[in-house]
Amino acid sequence: MNISMIKKIKEDGSPCRKCAEVELRLKEAGLFNRIDQVIIADERDPDSAGMHLAAQYEVDRAPFFLVEKEGEAPRIYTVYLKFLKEVLGTTASEQDEAKDILEKNPDLDFL
Amino acid sequence: MSRNKNFDVEQMAREYMHRDPAEILKLALGNFENIAISFSGAEDVVLIDMAVKINPKVNVFSLDTGRLHPETYRFIEQVRNHYRLPIDVLSPDQAALEKFVREKGLYSFYKDGHKECCGIRKVMPLRKKLNTLDAWITGQRKDQSPGTRADVPVVEKDTAFSTDSHTLIKFNPLSFWTSAQVWQYIRENDVPYNELHNEGYISIGCEPCTRPVLPNQHEREGRWWWEDATMKECGLHAGNKQKKTA
Repeated sequence: MNISMIKKIKEDGSPCRKCAEVELRLKEAGLFNRIDQVIIADERDPDSAGMHLAAQYEVDRAPFFLVEKEGEAPRIYTVYLKFLKEVLGTTASEQDEAKDILEKNPDLDFL
Repeated sequence: MSRNKNFDVEQMAREYMHRDPAEILKLALGNFENIAISFSGAEDVVLIDMAVKINPKVNVFSLDTGRLHPETYRFIEQVRNHYRLPIDVLSPDQAALEKFVREKGLYSFYKDGHKECCGIRKVMPLRKKLNTLDAWITGQRKDQSPGTRADVPVVEKDTAFSTDSHTLIKFNPLSFWTSAQVWQYIRENDVPYNELHNEGYISIGCEPCTRPVLPNQHEREGRWWWEDATMKECGLHAGNKQKKTA
């Protein structure tokens, strides 16, 4: 299995906030070494490898994960918690789950 | 415990879609014993006013994030006394909150967005509470955030908090009411309200994340106003790339 994390560099050269956050969460959980390579989608360079992958797999947000297994179709994960569970075989912290609930249910903002 | 094991959520959602909120509350309280109202300390107080007329001992809980305005704390207390209800005020998990503040400080939401902070201060205690209930009642309305609340059924299975072993039902009796209708009810029924509303606040949340709005501004503009640009920054514009390389 080969796992790629595609993260975005913004036009001003800084990493996108969400990408940096997900990378930090992976590192804090001791899981970053499970990522085989990090591929950059550079907004300043439409021909960067990450931008090509985003176009190829029709992904419209960063970061995302590309999981390749011999004999299987590549799988794309844009939801971090799903990636954690299905690919890395681990569970998210309660804190991560809470944030994920809020991201998926913005109506909860107004409680 | 549910009073009605055969409660048909989809049928009730259709049947009660345009009913008065008090009727929807009657449906909720009549079908579920283990049910509670989520009270934010703002204009959703109308739910409490309606509910106590059906069940004077209705269960009410409120999420104390630790960052509410003093006016909101005073209002929660006022509601407790006015309706003689033991409001269950829920606090964040102390260890999780301390770790978060130690690592990120007290105002990380201005840089990182509000969801991490809200997750700890609001969603975690909410989830813990909802795990103990069969149903809950919110003051969510379709008109609060046109972008995210286009579809707020008056009753639904709560997909955010239900688990494989626990189905949670969510009632939104005010879904089809407008802000103007809520305020008409407050005035006509002499319902107590948060004094922040007198100062131009419409939507009221935590103090650092809430501001008054000007006439004709949408209430959403009074919450997390700094995020509009930053929250969009993670979009990958593959379409642009295709155009450029075509």
